[in-house]
Amino acid sequence: MQALLRRLPIESYVIAFTIALWVALAWATPNFLTESNVSNLMRQTPIAAIVAIGVMCTIVIAGIDLSVGSVAAFCGVAFAQMCRHDFGLAPSAALTLLAGVSVGLTNAAAIGRLGIPPFIVTLAGLQVYRGLALLLAGGMTVGGLPAEVKDFARGTTGLPNLFWTMLAVAIAVHYLLRYTRTGRYLYAMGSNAEAARRQGINTFRITVVAYVLSSGLAALAGVLLVSRLSIASPSMANAYELQAIAAAVVGGASLFGGRGTVLGAVVGAILFTTMSNAAVLLGVDPFWEMVLEGLLIALVVYLDNLQKRRQSGA
Amino acid sequence: MNWKSMIAASVATAAIGASAAQADDRVAVIVKATTSEYWQWVFKGAEDAGKQLGLKIEKLGTPKDDAAGQISVLESAAGSKPAAIVISPTIFEALGDPIAKVTDAGIPVIVIDSGAKTDKYASFLTTNNEAGGRAAANAMAACIKERTGKAAGKVGYLTAMAGHESLDSRDKGFVEGMKAYPDVKVVGNRVANNEEAEGMNLTADMLTKDPDLVGLFADNAQMGTGSGASINEQKLGSKFCLVAFDSDAGELEHLKDGSIYALVIQDPYMMGFGGVWYGFAAAHGVRLPKNVDTGVGTVTKANMNDPKLAGLLDVSKRKLGPYLGD
Repeated sequence: MQALLRRLPIESYVIAFTIALWVALAWATPNFLTESNVSNLMRQTPIAAIVAIGVMCTIVIAGIDLSVGSVAAFCGVAFAQMCRHDFGLAPSAALTLLAGVSVGLTNAAAIGRLGIPPFIVTLAGLQVYRGLALLLAGGMTVGGLPAEVKDFARGTTGLPNLFWTMLAVAIAVHYLLRYTRTGRYLYAMGSNAEAARRQGINTFRITVVAYVLSSGLAALAGVLLVSRLSIASPSMANAYELQAIAAAVVGGASLFGGRGTVLGAVVGAILFTTMSNAAVLLGVDPFWEMVLEGLLIALVVYLDNLQKRRQSGA
Repeated sequence: MNWKSMIAASVATAAIGASAAQADDRVAVIVKATTSEYWQWVFKGAEDAGKQLGLKIEKLGTPKDDAAGQISVLESAAGSKPAAIVISPTIFEALGDPIAKVTDAGIPVIVIDSGAKTDKYASFLTTNNEAGGRAAANAMAACIKERTGKAAGKVGYLTAMAGHESLDSRDKGFVEGMKAYPDVKVVGNRVANNEEAEGMNLTADMLTKDPDLVGLFADNAQMGTGSGASINEQKLGSKFCLVAFDSDAGELEHLKDGSIYALVIQDPYMMGFGGVWYGFAAAHGVRLPKNVDTGVGTVTKANMNDPKLAGLLDVSKRKLGPYLGD
């Protein structure tokens, strides 16, 4: 039994903890398990989860992407400006995603070809794309968007559309990581880049895949955020990179590379959304909420390390 | 004195002369956060005043609220000896001494929007934020009465950021103002990180906690836009009373679609415009009033198309007529 518990991946603990939290909340507050609150949670989680899935892919190859918040803001503003100038909804969204992909290609080229550490490349991106977002918006909130823009994120198809989007992204990336050769190479490269190269894995191609996913999904998050808010603000999505890293790490990703799953990142995002939802429902002081979230990250990483040490027999 | 030192001396004199001439026609305007729309409107007012006065306006500030960064910006600006400095202090206590030092160095300082812990400044142009909060409370009561027949029920308020003097004053004014309506209870308060998306989530969560909430006060433009989006998403516009501070593109949209009942607006343009004029006057030795209230107004769907309000709701439409004309 103990051996089984030790072998369970860290995600299972986080999933168990999240479910325990739900049960406790359903018991402690009359309003947690209501249709409207569940639907709220289904709208509040997806954008953070989508960003977290992308960032998790860069963490798997022992990289990092600090630029996602700024990229989401930049792409969101670009999307809003295109919509406002009657580019049409679908072409605007497509061009925005293309912009996200180009950001990812640039990051990957700087990391893989120029050999600049990912932390530095994406830290630079964090500044550059925030600045571009402000320039593109003229420092102002961009409003006056066509009514259809908000229809998507505010609408439902049985369940909220945002939730379906998250599900689609999660399944696609999960498939890529789990069932394709490229996916296996991502983990191989994250575990030992040198060994991966010697085995003939094209590590630059893998770097491109990871960073394009990260920036592309950040761009998607930007579009969804604009749809949800019905405006674009150049200061939106601030510090989303840190939320995303926290969600991925709580979900079992290791910053040393080689580990991380889509399910983990999504559960991590769900856990953080649940915690802020719970803080309001229980009337917890917002400052304590931040402290608790921080402690949770520390605790999960500690447990994870403990488990790894036990597995290695130390 | 040989010719080399003569040339050096005359170059130095010329340089001093040039920099003095340059100093006279520059006013530095230092805002709290260059990345926010509100401060862009302050800059717009300052630049319009600069055009009228033939002054060069230096638009300065940190991208986000950052007291230490703002002190550095203030010190470098003062080092270049402009004719005057217009500043909106990020933190009351922290900016007090640095502002006093600039005044002592002989550069007139005009404080706008938020106060600083010093009396060494030429003039202070600001919104009375507490009065703004009370105006929001009155609008809230009017809305509840209009929709339910009497001013009674639970309301909450949403604070954009913790520890900001101007926001705290608005909240205080709102809570105090609501006391005039004994049947209205202020039950909840949440603090966001000044992001629309978080304001949106918190609004939904506050309504989940207290489904009988009849109204919410959002204390700045980011919160107003986020709350408005949530009310719009839940299609509560005609039942719920949302009152928000300031006006930006998002808030105006929600005022139009009925998700926001009223906006309490202030006049950032006039703070920038008046700040530069006052700075210019102070640099020429004019004695100024120590405190100037730039005013607040309440806008609802009913009066939002009033031409007098157009320039306050959207600064790009701002027109300055001659003072005595119409």
